[in-house]
Amino acid sequence: MTKPLDVDRKMPIVKKAVSNPYPLKESAIVKWSLITISLLYISLFLILPLISIFVTALEKGWETYVASIVHPDALAAIKLTITVALIVVPLNAVFGIAAAWLITKFTFRGKNLLVTLIDLPFAVSPVIAGLIFILLFGAQGLFGDWLFEHDIKIVFALPGIILATLFVTFPFVARELIPLMQTQGITEEEASISLGASGWKTFFYVTLPNIKWGLLYGLILCNARAIGEFGAVSVVSGHIRGETNTMPLHIEILYNEYQFTAAFAVASIMSILAILTIIIKHIASWKAKEF
Amino acid sequence: MLYLSFIVILPLSMIVVNTLSMSWGEFFETITHPRAVASYKLSFGSALAAGLINVIFGTIIAWVLIRYDFPGKKIIDGLVDLPFALPTAVAGIALTTLYAPSGWIGKFFDFKISYTPLGIVIALTFIGLPFVVRTVQPVLQNLGREVEEASASLGANRFQTFVKVILPELYPAMITGFSLAFSRSLGEYGSVVFIAGNMPMKTEITPLIIMTKLEQYDYVGATAIAVVMLVGSFIILLFINLIQWRMNRKFNY
Amino acid sequence: MGIQIKNVSKSFGSVKVLKDISVDIKSGELIALLGPSGSGKTTLLRILAGLEGLDEGTILFDGEDITNVSPKERKIGFVFQHYALFRHMNVFENVAYGLKVRPRKTRPSKKEIERKVNELLSLVKLENFQDRYPSQLSGGQRQRVALARALAVEPKVLLLDEPFGALDAKVRKELRRWLRQLHNEFHVTSIFVTHDQEEALDVADRIIVMNNGKIEQIGTPDEVYENPKSPFVYDFLGNVNIFRGRLQNGKLKQGQFEINAPHYLDSHDDAVGYARPHDILIEKEQVDNETVPAKISFIHIVGPTARIELKREDNGEYLEAELPKEQFKNLQIQKGEVVYVRPKQLKVFIPEDFSI
Ligand SMILES: Nc1ncnc2c1ncn2[C@@H]1O[C@H](COP(=O)(O)OP(=O)(O)OP(=O)(O)O)[C@@H](O)[C@H]1O
Ligand SMILES: [Mg+2]
Repeated sequence: MTKPLDVDRKMPIVKKAVSNPYPLKESAIVKWSLITISLLYISLFLILPLISIFVTALEKGWETYVASIVHPDALAAIKLTITVALIVVPLNAVFGIAAAWLITKFTFRGKNLLVTLIDLPFAVSPVIAGLIFILLFGAQGLFGDWLFEHDIKIVFALPGIILATLFVTFPFVARELIPLMQTQGITEEEASISLGASGWKTFFYVTLPNIKWGLLYGLILCNARAIGEFGAVSVVSGHIRGETNTMPLHIEILYNEYQFTAAFAVASIMSILAILTIIIKHIASWKAKEF
Repeated sequence: MLYLSFIVILPLSMIVVNTLSMSWGEFFETITHPRAVASYKLSFGSALAAGLINVIFGTIIAWVLIRYDFPGKKIIDGLVDLPFALPTAVAGIALTTLYAPSGWIGKFFDFKISYTPLGIVIALTFIGLPFVVRTVQPVLQNLGREVEEASASLGANRFQTFVKVILPELYPAMITGFSLAFSRSLGEYGSVVFIAGNMPMKTEITPLIIMTKLEQYDYVGATAIAVVMLVGSFIILLFINLIQWRMNRKFNY
Repeated sequence: MGIQIKNVSKSFGSVKVLKDISVDIKSGELIALLGPSGSGKTTLLRILAGLEGLDEGTILFDGEDITNVSPKERKIGFVFQHYALFRHMNVFENVAYGLKVRPRKTRPSKKEIERKVNELLSLVKLENFQDRYPSQLSGGQRQRVALARALAVEPKVLLLDEPFGALDAKVRKELRRWLRQLHNEFHVTSIFVTHDQEEALDVADRIIVMNNGKIEQIGTPDEVYENPKSPFVYDFLGNVNIFRGRLQNGKLKQGQFEINAPHYLDSHDDAVGYARPHDILIEKEQVDNETVPAKISFIHIVGPTARIELKREDNGEYLEAELPKEQFKNLQIQKGEVVYVRPKQLKVFIPEDFSI
């Protein structure tokens, strides 16, 4: 009987040919031109500005650099910025999780409206964001008289800055979490509850671990914006040196007073924060993909 | 929900309340003041220009990041997020210095870039870039190779495949990216004030007009201009969504 | 167009996906490429289309080496498993695409294109669907658009990757008849990939059975079905019963059971005999040693045939027999009864030669 696999077909021509003639890729010229264009574009708009910040900041040497940063006004600005971020980020985190939870795990009337409202601050100019709080709490504002009588300062003080920052950073966490929680669905939660876990336990043991990287991602973007917000804060802060100036506002003042080195010194600190933000963001998104 | 109303709805409704306190004549006069009108044109025009530039280059960058390998790709990919992470004021002063007549880039040009509308476009381009790249990138990533191969096997060359097969798949994402960048640019303040020069009628953007009015305690006037901006960007976004909706309706399987 | 594939090998990374493949395909043949998942069918097809490079070997179309020729110059039509229709183009534009992208010199006029597309659309019975988008079509309709699109460029070779894979049984049957017709009308050489042995047996002139990156057998449907060259092919094409045993003096023996295996006169190895269910006879009495006793465990009558499942009394293995209903009735057997099973035709292989 036949020996099955011995189908002998050794053909005489054995040609070694590594072939890849295929026009599914662009020619090398096109490829490298596109890469060059991209690199050039990114250099011109992103890399050079970033480098210039550090170069200008250090133009007059380390001593000037350090002096600009430890200047009392600068330190006050740094402190204020940190305070704002420490208040705003947790508040928006809690809200973001709650909103995303509400939107993805339940159905109710007005859900679409809620989604739209969450996104609204992105569509509003930061200057307008500042303006609306002046209209509410300013001297001629809706609550102006009442606040004056009770001697409460909101606008041109820390509360105003916090409110304006809350407004502009409002969507970050929720926006990041909603799509994530949508794809995860509710089966895991249902399983957990059916096993007898309480709502809170379910949240901490099931939901939270699932969304932690997405949450981090949202928080980090929220934080970056909270630290760096300029327009909205500029409107409500009142620009009182050493008191209501955040870091970006401090930079503006220095710059407008032609203290370029000092302005860039503070800017360089913010740039380092920005770079850290990017790095953490990428780690978070990379981790998020692993799950 | 309470939080939402306190932080978002209540403040925004103030715009309406305040506008209503104005007479129609006053309102109309404020918003049609030549300085204001000039600023609308400038804000709209420069946001449009920056958006278009970003759609073209943002798509190229997304393409390069997805399809090619080259040294430093990861770093470039990360840098695209810089405008999201860098405070706008920092970006503003850096770009201004760079593109000023004596700056590293500005000195290569015979004409002024900073303190002109061109400078504004540059600042807005900086702000808008990640919006386009980050919306086009995932679409490109998920694009099946099969349609490209089908096109090649039917005799199309690479350029035809790109224009007729790949690009149409990217349009919706490009439009989304554009609309995000555009609406952000319309209201952008921090990065623009430094580079704009802020000359009335020439390089004064709309948010700056609001700012100026606020500094003069003209809250009513500021609100009127704010209404124009809000309504304007609302209409534009509606229009863009309409286009997108029409495009999507046809071919989704 | 005749196709010669000579010693083609292909690896992805360290995995060898195609191992020294050689096939000769005559002009006008309709070939089925059959094999289990991961056996390299798609890869071979893509290499023929020029969508994938190869590591070693040559491909000739009509004697001409086209190994390094780009897909657009190969005059092939490729139908993708998931159709790969252009979803932003309607049916007409999809079919017209290959004509529209031709260089100006060879591009037909607008009228000409329109005429041709309409002709193809009526051929695939989609005249009234011109303006629809792919999202508005059923799976079978999409498949026909994909075919019309591939045929529009008048290919000399038509390559189809599991063309009917995603369709339901009835539509599949209809479409494969119709593929046969188209193939004849267009005078093309066609190769289609399939998982489905019935489909391959039904329409192909010849079948290439692939396994693990190698060709197991090439032959007409009758040859591969009736005369499989390896246990793999035996197993892959249709159901099969296995009789294990040891070769001795030209006989395959196991316990009482022994049967002639005249091709292995000098072998004394363990071996396996294969018999198709319809090559199994059932007898009520034991006449000789060429039968095994088995108990009927299940009787299943489908249309004109009776399928009988049996459990061997000696070693407990299961057997399956298929016989005409008429014959089954004459036998008068019942579930639970012990009968004697005779493999009418037994094909014997020595397992060392191959892995099953
Ligand atoms: N682009 C690729 N990169 C790496 N491995 C690949 C690639 N394409 C195919 N393979 C591998 O090559 C082997 C053969 O794949 P191929 O698609 O040719 O199989 P197939 O016979 O068509 O299977 P199926 O019937 O499931 O479609 C598989 O093991 C597959 O994982
Ligand atoms: Mg396959």
